[in-house]
Amino acid sequence: MSEHGKACVPGLFTDDNGARLLGTRCSTCNTPYFPKVTRCHNPRCSESRLVDASFGGRGTIWSYSVADFAPPPPHKHDKPFKPYVIAVVDLDEGLRIVGQMVDGLDQASVGAPVTLVIDTLYHEDGQAYSTWKFKRI
Amino acid sequence: MQDVAVVGVGLHRFGKTGDDVVGNKSVTELCRIAVERALKDAGVSWRDIQAVSAASSRFSGGKGWGLNGNDVVEEMGSTGIPVYNLSAGCAAGGNAFNVGYSLVAGGVYDMVLVVGGEVMPKGMIQTSGVEEATDPEFLRQRCVGMPGPSFWATLARRRMHDYGTTEEQMARVTVKARKCSVGNPYARFQKEVSLEDVLKSPYVSNPLRLFEICPVSNGAAAAVICSAKRARQLTRQPVLVASSAVATIGFDDALPRSLAVPVPNGPSRHTEVYAAVTRAFEAAGVGPRDLSFVELQDNTCYYELAFPEEWGLCQPGEAERLHAAGETLPTGRMPVNPSGGFVSFGEATTAMGVFQICELTWQLRGESGARQVPGAKLGLAQTNGLGGNATAAILKR
Ligand SMILES: [Zn+2]
Repeated sequence: MSEHGKACVPGLFTDDNGARLLGTRCSTCNTPYFPKVTRCHNPRCSESRLVDASFGGRGTIWSYSVADFAPPPPHKHDKPFKPYVIAVVDLDEGLRIVGQMVDGLDQASVGAPVTLVIDTLYHEDGQAYSTWKFKRI
Repeated sequence: MQDVAVVGVGLHRFGKTGDDVVGNKSVTELCRIAVERALKDAGVSWRDIQAVSAASSRFSGGKGWGLNGNDVVEEMGSTGIPVYNLSAGCAAGGNAFNVGYSLVAGGVYDMVLVVGGEVMPKGMIQTSGVEEATDPEFLRQRCVGMPGPSFWATLARRRMHDYGTTEEQMARVTVKARKCSVGNPYARFQKEVSLEDVLKSPYVSNPLRLFEICPVSNGAAAAVICSAKRARQLTRQPVLVASSAVATIGFDDALPRSLAVPVPNGPSRHTEVYAAVTRAFEAAGVGPRDLSFVELQDNTCYYELAFPEEWGLCQPGEAERLHAAGETLPTGRMPVNPSGGFVSFGEATTAMGVFQICELTWQLRGESGARQVPGAKLGLAQTNGLGGNATAAILKR
């Protein structure tokens, strides 16, 4: 558990030595995967050889949108609902990934540099739950 | 392989639960009305139908198992015919048409009913029904909270970056779509909206606004298809199926549909849609510029701009100019969604692929009234759905 709470889904990420997403990489074709897979999905790959890999650090915003209304379940959020930016980020480590932005609605722009962070997503029964998000650099 | 024709089509007008159009009708009742109309249009009886290819609904009827085709057969009369219930998210209606087409083309049956219908729950479609850490849709919704409109909004935002598309240009696509719907007796919305109306509607997911995203609707669609030989006994000028194709997503797709994909080397586009449409062109022996019109899946105005470019109907970045010049209207050079599209009908998810077949058939017969594409000879219908499913069909006269 990090200072931002328990992971909203266990086993997907860690905040122990900086924010990292826990995935796999195929050592034959170098394809990165998050979350973990048990077989390489690349149809041109000659042999699936998966090793644990983690992803994080810097990236750039490929595009983004705003959740102006609360998404339906199974999403969970604090009330009252506060709109947030959803960014699609190309990490320097080769993964294109979606995540909320911790910054305000007017902070996102295509091409802007960001970094992966772990942050609180919602509270339930007095307990904070965390997820991965992005922060403008 | 034998040539296949569409000999009868029928729609139940689209509406919203509780309104004057669909009221509290069940999905089976909506389907029955569409089927009765399609049979009448074809000039055949229920007993002439040799098999049913139906879209499976996740939301209504089907005994909770997507057995919507079985519901239709029970309702029409249990003749004991084979029923195929097809599931492909929002592409299910298109899939049902493809399977029906393939069965007739392959000579398995001579006359098949294709049907799809929905009674939709209110609000945004919840993409995943299961709460399991192994389900990527669950993870995306729980960990990020990215509903369907945000996926579309992300693509729209990227287009604004790539081509300088403005919010006003996107709003004008809705204005055009609603203009087409005027006088279409089956559309849920049949009134024009002004540019101001669209731009005043609230953001659902910035940069997309309420009037730019199709709502969910109740509705049903049916088509009777048969061998061209049989069709010529029924009508002098049947509408023929030039091709019907289905495809699924490619590994190099790179659109943000799940949590993560590899950063691509090439373009980011709807690979399943591109593959289905390309296969349909190849099988029909025609190219994108041969089309008289298209009915494409406009869950949002973005797709009316992006899809024609992705398929080669026009140059990348050219769509806004064509819209502004009126070229996407039924009377233009590249008519898109003369029916008014999903934005005017609302999405009765699994009915949509069959609804498009109805519109193509009416257009090719010259029966579309105010929204008629003059001299329509060749039309393309396209759907795509959750799971990376896509369909394309080309009809001709
Ligand atoms: Zn591999």
